[in-house]
Amino acid sequence: MQKTIVKVLSALIVATFFLSGCAQENSKTTGSAVKPTAIAKKKMTGPVYKGRVVGKSNKAKTISIQVGKGKKAQTIMVKFDENTKGIEHATKGHGIIVSYEKQGKDVYAKSVKPKLAKMPKGVVGIKTEDLKKMIDSGEDFVLIDSRPAHRYGTGHLPGAISIPVCEMQELLGLLPKNPNKSLVFYCGGPT
Amino acid sequence: MSAGQAVQAGYKNVKVYLDGEPAWSKAGYATYAGYGFICQGNNVLVDLRSAEKAAKARIPRSVSMPFADLEYAMEEIPIKAPVVLFSDSNEEMLAALKMFKEEGYKKVALVEDGYHGWKRLGGKLIKGPVVTEVSWKRILAPGEVKISDFEAALEDPSKAVILDVRTNEEVAVGKLKGSKHIPLDQLCSRMDEFFATIDGLTKEQNIYVHCTTGARAEMAYKELIKNGYKNAKFLMAEVSCELNDCDIEE
Repeated sequence: MQKTIVKVLSALIVATFFLSGCAQENSKTTGSAVKPTAIAKKKMTGPVYKGRVVGKSNKAKTISIQVGKGKKAQTIMVKFDENTKGIEHATKGHGIIVSYEKQGKDVYAKSVKPKLAKMPKGVVGIKTEDLKKMIDSGEDFVLIDSRPAHRYGTGHLPGAISIPVCEMQELLGLLPKNPNKSLVFYCGGPT
Repeated sequence: MSAGQAVQAGYKNVKVYLDGEPAWSKAGYATYAGYGFICQGNNVLVDLRSAEKAAKARIPRSVSMPFADLEYAMEEIPIKAPVVLFSDSNEEMLAALKMFKEEGYKKVALVEDGYHGWKRLGGKLIKGPVVTEVSWKRILAPGEVKISDFEAALEDPSKAVILDVRTNEEVAVGKLKGSKHIPLDQLCSRMDEFFATIDGLTKEQNIYVHCTTGARAEMAYKELIKNGYKNAKFLMAEVSCELNDCDIEE
């Protein structure tokens, strides 16, 4: 019985990770977008690609997006022009949602929207100045860097500890025992 | 962020700083290097203290650039290099950080609490004559071709096909001798037809892609790999051409 509970719990935790991971590290939302899917959501109609921008050339009017992760990862080249809406959101390293259409063998971007990480339930968002105040005033909290460990190594916020998203389950023990203690998580940006 | 997991695990006071490290750095605030990165990372570790202090005890690998001379000394550091700074004065570290950022260095971090913090951690120290020469080398990204290999292929075309993905207008000004050309924006739609025009080209062939900076070349490289040209590589370097005279610079 005890074991079943543990299993269910860890399944829950894994599920949460998929729902709340940094969009940049988040594979699950992009995984299903490898094949064009017709999602009729808000203003976006027609087929869309969701993924991270791995290259952009204003000269060639082309962006490369990585969709999917691991073995399923692939790079898709999408063209744009002055009629493409929201092309400013296509910045290298950022997550975007591209509504596209096929023009012969080319894929043409009709509009680009930033892919924002969803805030998990029960979590409060804070801004740079809020965090700066918390640090400067010596407030009692634990600051957690969720990026991969090597990113933490190259430069992290003052006093932060490293718990990469993928290792959260194993490293849960690094969090304070007291569940009322304030925790602040951050990663590599909103997308 | 793994904030959702923490909520699941029962934590009641969970916040998320969604803008994260990029926003923090952009606001001009300092970030701090991890222990391993300070010890053996691919970076330039800068000792801002006086050369006398550095000679007595310093963090291994560090280059001596006393704060007073920093303005000139920092020119020795390649702009793409990650930089880690330490001093025995926090004000000095923060002032130096600002100087590096203003100069255009993108990856600058500090040793937490500088020299004293390192000592307190029990970090290793060395002594002896200081090092002033910067010996940083960029590590190639996956798929990147070494400049020397690229140049060797220019000399000996049997080594690789040189593929130029710049625009027609750019190529009209000048191109590398012996290179094949297809603009990046036509690569997807014309790839197979284009490669069919190159004699004896197989999917095993080495293909070195270049543009003017490496950005388009990298995108083209990914397309080539996707289409089975498994020995494609790209050049991350500045290529500027006039007629058939091109300069290749890191």
